[in-house]
Amino acid sequence: MTATRGKSHPPRNAALQCALRTSLLALLVAGAGAAAAQGDAKQGEYLAAAGGCVGCHSEAKEGAVPFAGGRALKTPFGTFYGPNITPHPQAGIGSWSEADFVRAMRHGVRPDGANLYPAFPYPSFTKISDKDLSDLWAYLRTLPPSDRVSRKHDLGLFGWRPPLTVWKRLFFTPGEFKADARATPEVNRGAYLVQALGHCGECHTPRNFLGAPIQSRYLAGGKGPEGKTIPNLTPTRLKKQSDGELKDFLAFGVTADGDVPAEAMGEVIRNTTGKLLPEDLMALISYLRSLPPISSE
Amino acid sequence: MKVKHVVVALTAFTLSAGASLALAQAKPEVLVKQRQAAMTLQGKYFGPLAAMAQGKAPFNGAVVARNAGFLEALSQMPWDGFDAASKGVKSEALPAVYSDAAKFKLASENLHAAVGKLVAASKGSDEAATKAAIGGVGKTCGGCHDDFREKH
Repeated sequence: MTATRGKSHPPRNAALQCALRTSLLALLVAGAGAAAAQGDAKQGEYLAAAGGCVGCHSEAKEGAVPFAGGRALKTPFGTFYGPNITPHPQAGIGSWSEADFVRAMRHGVRPDGANLYPAFPYPSFTKISDKDLSDLWAYLRTLPPSDRVSRKHDLGLFGWRPPLTVWKRLFFTPGEFKADARATPEVNRGAYLVQALGHCGECHTPRNFLGAPIQSRYLAGGKGPEGKTIPNLTPTRLKKQSDGELKDFLAFGVTADGDVPAEAMGEVIRNTTGKLLPEDLMALISYLRSLPPISSE
Repeated sequence: MKVKHVVVALTAFTLSAGASLALAQAKPEVLVKQRQAAMTLQGKYFGPLAAMAQGKAPFNGAVVARNAGFLEALSQMPWDGFDAASKGVKSEALPAVYSDAAKFKLASENLHAAVGKLVAASKGSDEAATKAAIGGVGKTCGGCHDDFREKH
């Protein structure tokens, strides 16, 4: 190599050159290895928006510290309070490893082995890809640590965790999202955004008396945890809106005639759908349009 | 003189009685239509502001100030349309409007307050503050709809 290349610059010391090249190669390999192990925090920020994490993991009041916990989620089983997920070593999840995070998201298990309540929507998050989980973790690590202490859930009898093992066995299947070979790439992207990250079904799918989603009525809406009606997202209802109207609604949170949705969804639009890239928003809409129409109850 | 006094007194009485009678005479269906009309117009004048706040339309301070002025009056108008007489008429108003009347009243006051902040901001030249005030109005609209309006 040096013979052909180094005509005008003959090597002074062949051994030194060889050593330099080897160490450069070693550095590159090490660098590549480190890059593969470390997620992309910028991409993770986008994924956190698509996942709407800030909604449950921050207080509802003005000036609340994002991701420091606090939002109350009222359910028939009691009230859950989203915990602090900033990297604070005691108050947050600073002591967690990336593997701990993946176990929580994909399997609904805490680092100490206890089951997490499915109020934390791991039945949806389980579908998030390994790469996206890695990027999400990288982003979470960049958050400023907050010492806000997470509030304990208010669950009464349901505060006893062992029955969760049974619940999970009956209603939870861990595993990454699998693309549908019969659907277009756009519809599959939309399906991933809705099923895995957006976890839309957690609100828009009715639940049985054990708090498990009724899969046969996925995204068909119904009565929410506080007794309020949650809309049907299948074509039964969505066919009444054009793509342009849906896009504008999900991007800006206002209809063409200036109508504003309920704040529960308004918040989702501000935190999530309003931050999606145009192609991702179109994919989401394409996926919803591809669903079989289920009549509202 | 005495007759004049009596005539004046009688006229005053009839007018005031007529005024209160006029409100009581509006049919429940009409009350519902009127309050819906007020809110339709709220949407008409809020819509363009929401677009500006999100960068969807170019920011026009004059339009914001004008629409904010309209919203100031409009935001006070729907509420007497929710009079108990209109309870039986089919509409998107949830029963909570009446069962949780104090919270409903507070929601209406919050809207008026948020619009007040927008009017003030629109008179200044701080575009960012005006956009934030527009967002604040949107949030109060959504907050009330959350608790008191049926979703469609």
